[in-house]
Amino acid sequence: MMKFVSHSEAETEAIGEKFARMLHPGDVVAFTGGLGAGKTAFTRGMARTLAPDAEVSSPTFALVNDYGGKVPFWHFDMYRIRTMDDLYSTGFFDYLEAGGILAVEWSENIAGALPEGTIFVRITVDGENERTIQIGSEPIAEKEGKKG
Amino acid sequence: MKLICLETSAKTASAAVVTEGKVLGEISVTAGLTHSQTILPAMEALLKSCSMKIADADGFAVSIGPGSFTGLRIGIGAVKGLAQGSGKGCVGVSTLEALACNFSGLSYTICPVMDARCGQVYTSLFWSSGGYPKRLWEDMAISLDQLKEKLSSVEGEVMLVGDGAELAFAALSGSTRVLLAPPALRLQSAASVGFAALHRLETEQMIAPGELMPSYLRLPQAERELLARTGKSQP
Repeated sequence: MMKFVSHSEAETEAIGEKFARMLHPGDVVAFTGGLGAGKTAFTRGMARTLAPDAEVSSPTFALVNDYGGKVPFWHFDMYRIRTMDDLYSTGFFDYLEAGGILAVEWSENIAGALPEGTIFVRITVDGENERTIQIGSEPIAEKEGKKG
Repeated sequence: MKLICLETSAKTASAAVVTEGKVLGEISVTAGLTHSQTILPAMEALLKSCSMKIADADGFAVSIGPGSFTGLRIGIGAVKGLAQGSGKGCVGVSTLEALACNFSGLSYTICPVMDARCGQVYTSLFWSSGGYPKRLWEDMAISLDQLKEKLSSVEGEVMLVGDGAELAFAALSGSTRVLLAPPALRLQSAASVGFAALHRLETEQMIAPGELMPSYLRLPQAERELLARTGKSQP
């Protein structure tokens, strides 16, 4: 597991930008962690690498944003997904086959449907601007963020 | 009766022109490409090769599900537009019935299987003995384990066909007598969609494009399983 400490939104973005350079087509990046932790900032950083022209916003209502890019970059928000039918009708399973990179917010809601090899990112709020960002191959439990 | 047929329910994009007992032409592509970009150029190339225009068709056939959410909407949307624009009717057929038609005229118990992800499949059962496959089960979405259990009471060998056939073959080969369809007969084919549609037209009329609807099957996997890894509830 990799661990980073960020002291600002800009720093969170920069970590996302560097992280995205290590990704490959077909990778799924699953965020866990609460509101306002910086998932969208981190994703904005990823987009700087993957789809520099994109305007990143949280796809709370659209469910999925398509940022384009040389390798297509898609941004999901699963906050409102409760059933397999919900998930099916987002086209999520079709995007998995399409050879792009997926960033998935509120991935807790679809944990059972995430593919093998999913990369998990947990952002933990440590203070007003301080965040701990953990990246690993398994879902990272909430408390681990505080152990450090 | 000449039908232009499209099939985009899974990884294969396929276009065909069929008439009674004959495939005039077919293009099938299973190369991981986006159906929205593949299917209409494929159809256009096919029609050109057949020296045909869209207006030469008597109607349009398409598989309406089960299958990929996006894929079904691409195929059905395309056929709706073609039928609307040319003032012709259309026919929607079950993706699974069309898969069974890959074995039409042969003698097998046929189990079409499509991968619905997360250990689930879309499936059904047909029996053919030299003619058109006769339906034994309704189309259903079940887990591979449930399919294994259901097939254990089926007599004789079962031919697995479809994009989930390999998956099912691996899961079932120890417990049930299953055969894996040969590659040339395994995947979704627009020609088979066409023959299923022609069979339907022996007893029914074509429908207007506005009446053509996808037939998604409900995925039974519970919310509990969707949340499986963390066991956490909705925030």
